[in-house]
Amino acid sequence: MQASKGLKLADILITVVISIVFGIVYKLWGPFYYFVKPFGLHIDQLVYGMWFIAATVAFLIIRKPGVALLAEIAASSGEFIAGSEWGLEVLIYGVVQGLLAEIVFAAFRYKRFDVLVVSLAAIGSTIGSLVMDFYKGYIEALAPWNLALFLLARFVGAVLISGVFASSLVKALEATGVTQMVRSASKEDYEQLNR
Amino acid sequence: MRLEIGYRETWLHRINPSLKLLVMLAIFIAVLFVHNPNVLANLAVALLLLFFICTGYPLKYLLLFFLPFLVIFVSTASSMTLFGEGKTTWFQWGLIHITEESFLRGMHLGFRALTFALLGLIFSLTTRPVYLFYSLMQQLKLKPKYAYSFLAGIRLIPIILEEFQTVQNALKVRGAAQVGIFEKIKRYAIPLLSQSIRRAQRIAVAMEAKRFSSGMARTFYYEISFSKYDIVFIFSMAGIIVLAYCVGTILPYVPVVDVR
Repeated sequence: MQASKGLKLADILITVVISIVFGIVYKLWGPFYYFVKPFGLHIDQLVYGMWFIAATVAFLIIRKPGVALLAEIAASSGEFIAGSEWGLEVLIYGVVQGLLAEIVFAAFRYKRFDVLVVSLAAIGSTIGSLVMDFYKGYIEALAPWNLALFLLARFVGAVLISGVFASSLVKALEATGVTQMVRSASKEDYEQLNR
Repeated sequence: MRLEIGYRETWLHRINPSLKLLVMLAIFIAVLFVHNPNVLANLAVALLLLFFICTGYPLKYLLLFFLPFLVIFVSTASSMTLFGEGKTTWFQWGLIHITEESFLRGMHLGFRALTFALLGLIFSLTTRPVYLFYSLMQQLKLKPKYAYSFLAGIRLIPIILEEFQTVQNALKVRGAAQVGIFEKIKRYAIPLLSQSIRRAQRIAVAMEAKRFSSGMARTFYYEISFSKYDIVFIFSMAGIIVLAYCVGTILPYVPVVDVR
């Protein structure tokens, strides 16, 4: 087996399978999103952050470079293949969002896994989605108060869902012990052996 | 995905999946730079015709698939229409401020969302995921370890859905209390994720035990290549775009060429 040269088959398979679970969530989140939309005043933007969660959860589980990007691409492909209402655009959004989350994790050299870094990654994904919206949705042409509300709702929603909620989800997963077999052995593990 | 629904195989099904994906992505990016609502409306209508005539599915299913898109159209168009900036006021009530500019921009966004949705739906209705990933490996040199991971993942979807049912039934039998949405997601996500991780790990170990590796040259069970349908597809897409552009600029519906 090729050791430490990029992601191994097991890492990729696990990332993709996790992401496909989230892909189904992403698909189901669509109807929920436009169900809350008619309430107006961008309440829908508060739930937008769910579409960034695959990157953060997969990274927290596997903790390797490239996982966040792969996860977001895989989740958006899953959503796309399942016949998303947004069609092709989910793929492009997925790539951009995943890339921005990946950059945040890379900025911390893939060594920090706390709520703060994960929330920053969620903010990164949000910026990615906003860049796409700028080209696609002319969001800058909204009235200023409305645009401010829109941005605030999306950022807050992203941090709460893909930051705080994602870490609590992975904490609960850690309690099941399943993450132990996925992560590579840490420095502490080796020190335990040497004792 | 929707293989359980009977459909007729049309020329759209026989196009090389990689080529289809690349052409559709190119159209997607091109549409981002279309600011003329006349051109975009034409394009959306042309794709709608393609969707209803050439995908080979029964009309009642096509209408069913199409229903959510109308909701997307209305919801995308409405917030820009109601809250967008503009000069020529049509209606004002409290925070709602509808102007001619914001209305046209809203309609434009609606048509754009419709175009993207149709491109995606035409693709996913006429492409089998297995062929897509085999084609990506053969034509676009996607690494087999990624492609087979996706294929394995897609195969696991029915199992995941079945487990979802099991968890749902288990919660019902135990009379689980009503909780908020995030607690509810957690209740389902933890068992589904942990089981999926275990299963994925087992598949990976099994594949490696059978000497799966990306290193050597591979042969493929499905050989995907190009055919005359690919040329038909490229020319028909180019035709649709040129026609949409010409009709939109020569015979405009609204006298606006840029909604920004």
